[in-house]
Amino acid sequence: MTLEHKVRGVDHAAFPTFDPAGTVRFYRDVLGFPVVHSICAAGWGPEDHPDFIHFFFDIGNDDRIAFFYYFGLEPQHAHERGDVYAGFGPEVPEFFVRSRHLAIHVDDQDDLLEYRRRLDDSQWPVEMQIQHETIESIYTHDPNGYMVELTRAMRPVTPQEDLDANLTIDALLDVVGAPEPTFGKLLARKAELIVERAADWEAAQV
Amino acid sequence: MTALYVLDVPENTTVAKVAGEDPEVTVGKVGPYFEITADGAIVVDRRATGCRHAVWYSCVAGVADGRIVQHDKDALRVDPA
Repeated sequence: MTLEHKVRGVDHAAFPTFDPAGTVRFYRDVLGFPVVHSICAAGWGPEDHPDFIHFFFDIGNDDRIAFFYYFGLEPQHAHERGDVYAGFGPEVPEFFVRSRHLAIHVDDQDDLLEYRRRLDDSQWPVEMQIQHETIESIYTHDPNGYMVELTRAMRPVTPQEDLDANLTIDALLDVVGAPEPTFGKLLARKAELIVERAADWEAAQV
Repeated sequence: MTALYVLDVPENTTVAKVAGEDPEVTVGKVGPYFEITADGAIVVDRRATGCRHAVWYSCVAGVADGRIVQHDKDALRVDPA
């Protein structure tokens, strides 16, 4: 049975900031994301919660990115790598540090390049522009160290890619449910699932 | 018989085409996948495919009765198990 899918995208994704001025410059003044909501809250409760401002920028589609600025709160770590929420020492590999990010969608390459121009004219220029498998992306880090991606689809996703994604996940769950998962074991299990299901899937498409 | 499965999407079609240029290799279809089979090794030259790196390194959907012994900027090679 398939559960009815009733959610409607990102209401907001929230992050702490120690630099509200830079954050507003980056999101509102450089990228042009409107401020759409803010809360001025007096601290209360048993944990000596600081007074804070919770403020929101529109990232399109009525979705929002939000920040917390806590008055009087000092940075919570001293690491140079990572962002203001999570810092990492030299023992942590770079691919891991860079793995967590927010990607914001744009319609086409013209729009992607428009955001590239806005960033390149600011103190947060684009660090990478990459064509992945089926999307093209630009990347930078915001004033808080959070990695931000803007991305556009190079073509629509095809139905067979949804099948492939589901076979991958079923194969992955089988492999991680057994000892010593490897990429090779996943590809072997996925080959079995392709033989079992792919022909029937295609027949059901017509 | 070693089988290499590649999803049939526009970015991947040259992978199956280049693999099939070897007379010892057969390219068929299972649903929306290319099924590339051979009794011996299956070797695909990356430059001949024209695939950019992100496509190249994610083009393999499955491997049956074989194992990938090379998948780098030069070639993809699947040897019999």
